[in-house]
Amino acid sequence: MTALSDVITAVLLPAGAVFCLLGSVGLLRFPDIISRLHAASKAQTLGLLLILVGTAVQLPLRYAPVLLLVVLFQLLTAPITGQIVGRTAYRVQAFDRGPMFRDELADRLARDGTPVDERPPREDADR
Amino acid sequence: MTRRESARRVRHHWPMVGWLWLLWVLLWGSVGPVVLVGGLLVAVAVVRSFSLPPILPGAVPRPLAIGRLLIGLLKDLVVSGTTVAWQALRYGERTSTAIVEVPLRVDSDLLITAVAELTTIAPGTLVVEIDRRRQRLYVHALPVRDDTDVDRRREAVQTLERRVARAVGRGRRTGSSGDDTSGAVGDLGYSADPGYSTGPESSDDPDQGGSTP
Amino acid sequence: MTALYTATLAVLSAAGLLTLLRLVRGPDALNRIVALDVLLTMIIAGTAVGMALREDTTSLPVLVVLALLAFTGSVTAAHLIEKREGLR
Repeated sequence: MTALSDVITAVLLPAGAVFCLLGSVGLLRFPDIISRLHAASKAQTLGLLLILVGTAVQLPLRYAPVLLLVVLFQLLTAPITGQIVGRTAYRVQAFDRGPMFRDELADRLARDGTPVDERPPREDADR
Repeated sequence: MTRRESARRVRHHWPMVGWLWLLWVLLWGSVGPVVLVGGLLVAVAVVRSFSLPPILPGAVPRPLAIGRLLIGLLKDLVVSGTTVAWQALRYGERTSTAIVEVPLRVDSDLLITAVAELTTIAPGTLVVEIDRRRQRLYVHALPVRDDTDVDRRREAVQTLERRVARAVGRGRRTGSSGDDTSGAVGDLGYSADPGYSTGPESSDDPDQGGSTP
Repeated sequence: MTALYTATLAVLSAAGLLTLLRLVRGPDALNRIVALDVLLTMIIAGTAVGMALREDTTSLPVLVVLALLAFTGSVTAAHLIEKREGLR
């Protein structure tokens, strides 16, 4: 029993930590904010999930459900954060269009008569 | 009058009461009688005092399909974490992205929310805008290098949509049609939108007419 | 086991440093919001590992609060930015 949970922890914790690390690498290396959101909302969530499950099996059984609750909250909220921040970034035009192969939302807006202006990305949005 | 109404609301939202109760007990971390009774009282009080609209009237959750959805979700999460991590390592600044328009068939707030949420968890896609009126998602996808990638992403989101639709069937409508086993896809919250198609070219024409505000 | 926990914490710290770098570089408020959100998930992960390491669960409720707070904070900040830009 203990041996099994030790094995689970020994597999999940390093994997989770690596995903967290790769998520931050993505956060640092991706060129525009929406791509960075991918790193934040996926690699990070997966990393946290693995780590929380890995520690939950080590704790006394009555504490494990609370950790799983944290996992559930994270699974529910991470996509919402990603979507809302992404939407805001698109609406205030605060991101780099360089890596974009195609933008069907801009096409749609242009057809609706409210085209996005193709200004260079704003670097001063926090001032 | 109001008392009877709020009592009815509690009865109607019993899954919510149950969930809040469970949450309360989990957070206290013990199952003494005070915690149990107190939690039930608090849950009932919360549901009575804050009214929520019924989220999906007549919905019949299908346990098997929901289970499949959850397993798919976990698989998606692992694949997407790996995809994004690989992109970050291999390409980094030279990654290539696109925003893809995805027409949906489901027409209910809850289902669209569920599809949007699951899409964001799915590999390499993130919803940036939801057009509720036209039932369209605008999905930021990564990596996308050519037109086939764009179409592939669109189809992936629509596959996900079908999975969600199957998980929550609509009991009443299915009952009237008589045939229950064929799956919920045809009779769910689907609208008969002729503009629903997968290609970007063909999806343009129908909504040119309908989209003028 | 202790070595495993320590190694995990070390990798998490490295990830935290990288995230901190993004927080410093910005270049705008939205990027910093994302970086803060990521940093907070890493703090949650680190606290959980620390709990297993010390076999002490006093900080368990803190994790629940942090998980919900991260979400509310980021969403509120994003809404504020939209509002300031005159959208909505």
